[in-house]
Amino acid sequence: MRSDRLPHNKIIFSGTVGAGKSTAIASLSDVPPVATEALATDAAAQLKKTTTVAMDYGILFLQGGEKVMLYGTPGQERFSFMWDILAEGGIGLVLLINNSAPDPLHHLEKYLKFFKNLIADTAVAIGITHMDRTQLPTLVDYRGRIAQFGLLPPPAVFRVDARERDDVAMVVRALLYTLNPGLIDA
Amino acid sequence: MMPERVETASPIHLFLIEVSGMDARLIGMSLERHMKGRVVLTNDLLHAHAVLIDCDRRGAEQAVLRLPPRKDLGIVGYALNPPEFSTRFPGMPVIAKPLNLESLWAALTQAIGNPIRPSPPPAPVAVTAPIAEEATKTLGDNIETDDGVELCGAFEDLPTTRPSRLPDKLFFDPDDYLVGQLFRAVVKSQASQRPLAVAGLYRLIRVVLKPVPLCLTAFRETRLRPISMTQLPLATTRIVHDPGTQDPPGTELAWATEDMLWNVAAWAARGRLPVGTDPYRPVRLKAWPNFTRVFVPPHALRIAALWVRGYASPIDIATRLGIPQRYVFSFYTAAQFAGLINFEPLSLAANRPAPPPATPVVAPSAKRPSLLARILKKLINAV
Repeated sequence: MRSDRLPHNKIIFSGTVGAGKSTAIASLSDVPPVATEALATDAAAQLKKTTTVAMDYGILFLQGGEKVMLYGTPGQERFSFMWDILAEGGIGLVLLINNSAPDPLHHLEKYLKFFKNLIADTAVAIGITHMDRTQLPTLVDYRGRIAQFGLLPPPAVFRVDARERDDVAMVVRALLYTLNPGLIDA
Repeated sequence: MMPERVETASPIHLFLIEVSGMDARLIGMSLERHMKGRVVLTNDLLHAHAVLIDCDRRGAEQAVLRLPPRKDLGIVGYALNPPEFSTRFPGMPVIAKPLNLESLWAALTQAIGNPIRPSPPPAPVAVTAPIAEEATKTLGDNIETDDGVELCGAFEDLPTTRPSRLPDKLFFDPDDYLVGQLFRAVVKSQASQRPLAVAGLYRLIRVVLKPVPLCLTAFRETRLRPISMTQLPLATTRIVHDPGTQDPPGTELAWATEDMLWNVAAWAARGRLPVGTDPYRPVRLKAWPNFTRVFVPPHALRIAALWVRGYASPIDIATRLGIPQRYVFSFYTAAQFAGLINFEPLSLAANRPAPPPATPVVAPSAKRPSLLARILKKLINAV
């Protein structure tokens, strides 16, 4: 259930464990991001040493002092109760999928289902990470799965290196134009 | 650093022969910017110190033979595959495309100091194997212009309703450019399920299918771009069975085939459409191009965001976004070669009532547009 509170200026970063959500926020944030990471103790430990247990939090400062918060959800499913809370009132969703994790297409579909309402109300743009490590599935495979899922119009799906600010910024720009193609390039 | 010209302090007057308009413009801008006072272009052949000839053009050989019999006239050629011409014009310096300023300077001073009279070319010989060569700087790199604007031409908009005749200059034949041959190689490779390569340039472009469809090449973007923009005689390149890598280990870059085709097509397009395209026919964008890895023409994200929503003609898209059509045409060309365009079945199109005239997208209709615009500005300016 969605509350009647005014929407926050925030962009939600979600996605699979090890996809680079924390790194992506750090790439974009104007301040050192606040991260609540802990040693990974479950299946996530096979993918990386630490994992986000509550959220990541970065800020984009706009002209005039206005702020846009960048919220990263924890990737592990046992923290999924937080996803709804963090997503509430978001401008849109950036979904990052770790291509080197087992069955990333299944994960993509799972996240699209979970954030179905947020996506319907706003928009989603998708970054596929670690494609340098694992070439399959390809972007074409991701597009095919999204088409099967019935998400229209098809969202942007880009190959992303979460450490590269340009890559992360491009995904967010695609999200903004998806919300409104009439935006003028500043 | 450029070496000093030893024999005289006056600039070399350079006359261009069989050089395309685009090349001439790039050469002129680069000389003006980086060799001012050393080399100037001239329209007066009688008083030129040297001539520069694009050896890849059909009339090049005849043009060389028609040059006035002046012993002090230096002759320099440039070509995609210089060794081929060193046998046809012995003694004439032929440097590699894309032009490198230092190589050009060296060749000009050599040619002026030791002019030759090329004799008629002998019978054609087999094209030699590609020569690996790496230059540090190309003419194209040195021109500081708005990339996208420079690469999307300057054509006037077409009317929003179909005119009786479309201007020829709006179209280009992909077979005259690298994109035509590369696209053919990709299609043949998929049909035969065998790896192929585009040969004839000084590096290979290999087309492989497994584990994923890739184009492998040691060309860097700064080299590939001018080659893609240049008209290539049909015989310049050929499709061969993939001989495997011919370059030192680690020098080949892997591009998703879709991304490579997008880039090579976008660079060739320069605001034009492939011959046979109907700019008034509605099409739809199947998927967003991989904008983190491909050349992004001006307004490309806006175009993509709008065109994935439904069928619209390139003319309609430009009208709705309020942008010059040439940007949409470049986008369309790149998307078509990348396989991202869906054509509306003609039967459906025929049954559909004529759409109302396209109207501009109304910016304030989206959620909190002013905030989105401010975020966008922040992202673009800080990138």
